[in-house]
Amino acid sequence: MGLLSILRKLRSSPEKELRLLLLGLDNAGKTTILKMLAAEDINHITPTAGFNIKSVIADGFKLNVWDIGGQRKIRPYWKNYFENTDILIYVVDSADKKRLEETGIELYELLGDEKLQAIPLLVYANKQDLPNSLPASDLAQALGLPTIKDRAWQIQSCVAIQGTGVKEGMEWACKTIKKK
Amino acid sequence: MSSFKREKKEEEDGGGNPFQNIEKTTVLQEARTFNETPVNPRKCTHILTKILYLLNQGEQFGSTEATEAFFAMTKLFQSKDVILRRMVYLGIKELSSIADDVIIVTSSLTKDMTGKEDLYRAAAIRALCSITDSTMLQAIERYMKQAIVDRNPAVSSAALVSSLHMTKIAGDVVKRWVNEAQEAVNSDNIMVQYHALGVLYHIRKSDRLAVTKLVAKLTRMSLKSPYAVCMLIRITAKLLEEEGDSGSSNNHLFEFIDSCLRHKSEMVTYEAAHAIVNLKRTSSRELAPAISILQLFCSSPKPTLRFAAVRTLNQVAISHPAAVTACNIDLENLISDSNRSIATLAITTLLKTGGESSVERLMKQISMFVSEISDEFKVVVVQAIRALALKFPRKHSVLMNFLSAMLREEGGFDYKASIADTIITIIEDNPDAKETGLAHLCEFIEDCEHTSLAVRILHLLGKEGPRTKQPSRYIRFIYNRVLLEDPRFRAGAVSAMAQFGATCPDLLENIQVLLTRCQMDPDDEVRDRATYYSNILSRQDKSLYNNYIIEPMKISISALERSLQEYIQGDTEESFDIKSIPVVSPLAAEEIQTTAQKTDGMLSSTGPSKPVQASREENYIKELSNVPELQQLGPLFKSSDVVELTESETEFVVRCIKHSYTKHLVLQFNCTNTLSDLLLENVRVQVDPSEGYNIVKEIPCPKLPYNETGTSYIILQFPNDLSQSVGTFGAVLKFIAKDCDPTTGIPDTDEGYGDEYILEDLEVTPSDQIQRVSKVNWTAAWDEATEANNYSMMNIVFSLSSVSTLEEAIKNVVQYLGLQAAEHSDKVPEGKTVHTLLLAGVFRGGADILAQAKLVLSDTVTMELTVKATEESVAELIVFAIE
Ligand SMILES: Nc1nc2c(ncn2[C@@H]2O[C@H](COP(=O)(O)OP(=O)(O)OP(=O)(O)O)[C@@H](O)[C@H]2O)c(=O)[nH]1
Ligand SMILES: [Mg+2]
Repeated sequence: MGLLSILRKLRSSPEKELRLLLLGLDNAGKTTILKMLAAEDINHITPTAGFNIKSVIADGFKLNVWDIGGQRKIRPYWKNYFENTDILIYVVDSADKKRLEETGIELYELLGDEKLQAIPLLVYANKQDLPNSLPASDLAQALGLPTIKDRAWQIQSCVAIQGTGVKEGMEWACKTIKKK
Repeated sequence: MSSFKREKKEEEDGGGNPFQNIEKTTVLQEARTFNETPVNPRKCTHILTKILYLLNQGEQFGSTEATEAFFAMTKLFQSKDVILRRMVYLGIKELSSIADDVIIVTSSLTKDMTGKEDLYRAAAIRALCSITDSTMLQAIERYMKQAIVDRNPAVSSAALVSSLHMTKIAGDVVKRWVNEAQEAVNSDNIMVQYHALGVLYHIRKSDRLAVTKLVAKLTRMSLKSPYAVCMLIRITAKLLEEEGDSGSSNNHLFEFIDSCLRHKSEMVTYEAAHAIVNLKRTSSRELAPAISILQLFCSSPKPTLRFAAVRTLNQVAISHPAAVTACNIDLENLISDSNRSIATLAITTLLKTGGESSVERLMKQISMFVSEISDEFKVVVVQAIRALALKFPRKHSVLMNFLSAMLREEGGFDYKASIADTIITIIEDNPDAKETGLAHLCEFIEDCEHTSLAVRILHLLGKEGPRTKQPSRYIRFIYNRVLLEDPRFRAGAVSAMAQFGATCPDLLENIQVLLTRCQMDPDDEVRDRATYYSNILSRQDKSLYNNYIIEPMKISISALERSLQEYIQGDTEESFDIKSIPVVSPLAAEEIQTTAQKTDGMLSSTGPSKPVQASREENYIKELSNVPELQQLGPLFKSSDVVELTESETEFVVRCIKHSYTKHLVLQFNCTNTLSDLLLENVRVQVDPSEGYNIVKEIPCPKLPYNETGTSYIILQFPNDLSQSVGTFGAVLKFIAKDCDPTTGIPDTDEGYGDEYILEDLEVTPSDQIQRVSKVNWTAAWDEATEANNYSMMNIVFSLSSVSTLEEAIKNVVQYLGLQAAEHSDKVPEGKTVHTLLLAGVFRGGADILAQAKLVLSDTVTMELTVKATEESVAELIVFAIE
C-alpha cells in the first residue's frame, strides 16, 4: 500500500482508531508480534519492563496496539490499560507446556473483568515452529475456549519470528470490528 | 486613569494568572481525558500543565490519586506530539515520588532515551533516573554509560547530572561509570565538562589519594569550561585545607589557584581570589594578589561583581583584617552604593576592621538606611555589631542603644531573635553592659509579638535579674506579662518570678503575693506552676530552692513520658524512680549545632540539612528497641561516641557504640563487609572483658553480604565493685565465611569456613557511665553539697605529664570523665597559669557528681581534683580512674 493510498484511506474514515491490547505471559512473543506488525527489526528485543505502544495502519483502521510486559511483577498493572479496549489479543507460547495452566488462569482473570466484558478475543498460538509445540486446536481445548459464549473469539496459530499467521489474526480482528 | 486602576485591581486579583482558580479535584477529573483515543495533544498538554502547576504550588496529592493520574498519563505515550511527550516526562518526574508503580514506564523511557528523536533523549534520561531504584539501575546501566559519552551535549549532561542524583541510592553502580565520566571531562562542551567533573569528584571524594591524583591531572591540562575550573578550584582548596602544612604537593596546588587569578573569565578569577582569601594557611604575601582582584571588583560597573567582592571581604574581615584594610577606600565608596545590599556589606566590613573611633560615624551611616534593607541584611548588621561589642567593650552603650532602636522597629522573627541574641551575648560578656541590656530587653518584651522570643527573655531575666544590684525593678516588667492573654507568656513569667523568690530573700514575701494571685489563673499550666513554686518557696529550705527552682535536673521529657507509660502499665506497688530517667546532656545541644553547620562545601544537592531534634540517646533508643533482649534492661542511660575498632581501608570495618544502662553495658558492633566475593554468616565480636564483668548474652548478626552493615550486640553486667568497671577489653571479629560470585552475591557452595579477625582493644571509661549536667550556679551546688550529709568527698593531687597547656589538660579531663564544665570554667583567660575547672554530672543509677579541678601550669600541669558524689564508690572511681 502506497503512502498516498494510506492517507486517502485515513481521510475517508478519520475516526476509525482502534485500541488493541496485547497480553500474555512473559516470553510469549508479544513484543515480537508488535514489531512484526510495525515491520520493525526483531533482533534486539528484550523483556518488556513496562509497556510498548505502536500505531499501525491496517485495513483502513489506525490500530493503537498496547503491548504490556508479562512478567509476574508487571501483571498487576495490566488492569490499568483495560479501558476502551476494542480487541483483546492473548499470546501463548505453544511450546511452554509447563506454564499452560498459569497462562489459562491469567486468561480467565481477564475474561472475568468487567471492563473487558464482551470484548472480542484473539488468541495467538505462537511458536508453532518449535518441535514440541501444541497445535492450535489442542491449545483451544486446553484453554477451554469453546466454552466462551459471551464474546466473539478466535485462535490463530502463528510463528511470530517469521511473521506467519500474524496477518491472518489481524484480519479477523478488523473484520469482527466492522461487523459490530 | 480609570483603566489603569482597573488593571491594577485585576493584577491584585491575580487576573494575570490563568491558573488562579484551578482546583485539584477538577484537574484530576480532567486528567481522565488522557485515557481517550485518539489523544488530543493540545488539550492534554494543557491539563498536564495544570497538574504540574498544582504540584509546584505545593498542593498535596494522595498516593491513590497520584497513581491514578500517573497511569492515565502513561496513555499519552501513544501520541507522537513532541511537546506533549516532553510534558509527560516532566509529569513522570514530578509524580515519581508520590505515585506508586511508576516503573511501568521503564521500557517506554528506555526506548526514548536510546531512540532517534534527539528532542526526547535528554529529558527521557532525567525521567528514567527519577523512577529508577537501585535494583533496576543494573538494567539501564548500559544505556547510561552510552549516554554519558553521547555526542549530543544535552544528552551527555542529562546523563551526568542524573548519575550524580543516582549516587544517593546506588553509589556503587555509579562508581562503575568512572571511565565514561573521565571521557566526558574531555568534552568541548562547557556544561558537559563541568558536569563530568562533578561526577568524577563525587565518585572519588571519599578517597583522598584519588582526589589528589585527579587534581594533579586536571590542573595540568587546561579545562575549557570556566564552571569546571571554578569547581576544580574548590576541590583544590578543600584538599589544601585538609592536608594542612604537611602535604607535599601543597605548593603545586596553591600555584594552580594562584594562576587562576590571571584567568580570562571573571568567574574564575573571583573563585580563585575567594579561595585564597579563605584558606587558613595563606600568608600575607600570597594574599596580596587575591585582595587586588577583589579590590578591582569593588569598583566594577557590574553590581554582581561588586557584591561578590564585598561579601568575600566581609567574611574574612576578622581573619585577615590587614588585607581588608587595604581596600578601605573602595569600601568607603561603596557605602553610598545604590544597591543597599552592597552598601550594608561595605559598612559592616568597615565596622569589623575599623578602629574604636570610627564606630560612631559608621553607626550613624547605617542608621540612615537600615530601615530600607531587607531583614537578611539587617541580620548582617546585627552580627557586625556583635563583633564590635566584643572587640570594643567600652562602646557598649552606643551599640546597645542602636540595637534597642532596631528592636523597636518592624521586623521578622529571625531578625528580632538575632538582636536579642546579640544583646544576650553582650550581657554575658561584659558585666558593665548587663543592667542596660536587661533594661532594653525588659522594654522589648513589653510589646513583643514573638512568643518564643519573649519566653526566652523572661527566662534570662529570671536567671540574671536576681544577681543584679537592684533585682526588684525587673519584677514589675515580669509581672506585667502575667496580665497578658497568651498563657505561654504567663507561664514563663511565673517561672521567672519564682527565680527571684528563691534567690532574693527580701523579695520573697512580695513574690509569694504575686504567685498567690497567679494560682487563680484560668490556664492549667500557669496555675500548676504558680502552686508548685509557691509551695516550694514556703518551705524556706535552701536546698529545695536549689534542686527544684534554680537548678532543676534536666531530664529527657520523651524518656520520662515513655517510662511513666510503662510504669502505669506494670504493677505500681513500688514508687516511681525519677533517677532512672536519663538526663539530657548539654552536649546534645552542641551536637545539633555542628551537624546543622556541616556542609560539604562542594555539591550541595541535598538541600539544607534538618536540625537533629532528638538527643543521641533518643536516636539509639529507636534502633535498640528492635532487639527484644535489650528491653528488660531498663531505660538507656548513656550512649558513647562511635569507636573505630579497625583501621580505615581494611577488609572489614567494625565500629562500636557503648550503651550504659543502670546495671548493664551493651556493646553494639556495626560491622561492614567490604569484600565482594565473601558472604559472612553468624557474625559476632568476641570480647575478653576485664575482671568483674559478666557476659549475659551475645546476639550475632545472622548474615552480612558485601557492602552491607550488620549489627551484633553483647550484653554485659557491670561489676559490683565499681572500681573494676573501668578497663580494657580485647576484641576479635568471628564469622563463617562463604565464597561467592561477586556480581550476584550468591555463595558458590553451602559449606563455609570459620574465620576471625583481630580488632583493636576497646576501652571502657568513666565517661561511658556518666551523663553531663549543666549547672548555671555551680558554686551554690558545691556549697550545698558541703553542708549536706549525703555527699562523700575524695581528693587527689597529681601531675599530667603528657600535656603542656591548661587548655589541653581541661580538654582531656572533661573528655575522660564525661563531666560538664560549668560557669564557662572550661575557658582559660589568656596568659593565666592557674585555673579552676568546675564540673558536674550524674552517674548511671542516679548518683550526683560535682568535681573541682585546680590546675597549675609550670613545665607540666599539676592538678588537684576534688570530687563530691552522693555515692562514695562513685567518687572513688573518678579519683582513681583519672590517675
Ligand atoms: N522459536 C520462536 N521463538 C519466538 C517466537 N516468537 C518470539 N520468540 C522468541 O521468544 C522470546 C520472547 O519474545 P518477546 O517478544 O520478548 O516476548 P514478550 O511476550 O514480549 O515477553 P515480555 O515482554 O517479557 O512479556 C524472544 O527470544 C523471541 O525471539 C516464535 O514464533 N518462535
Ligand atoms: Mg515484551
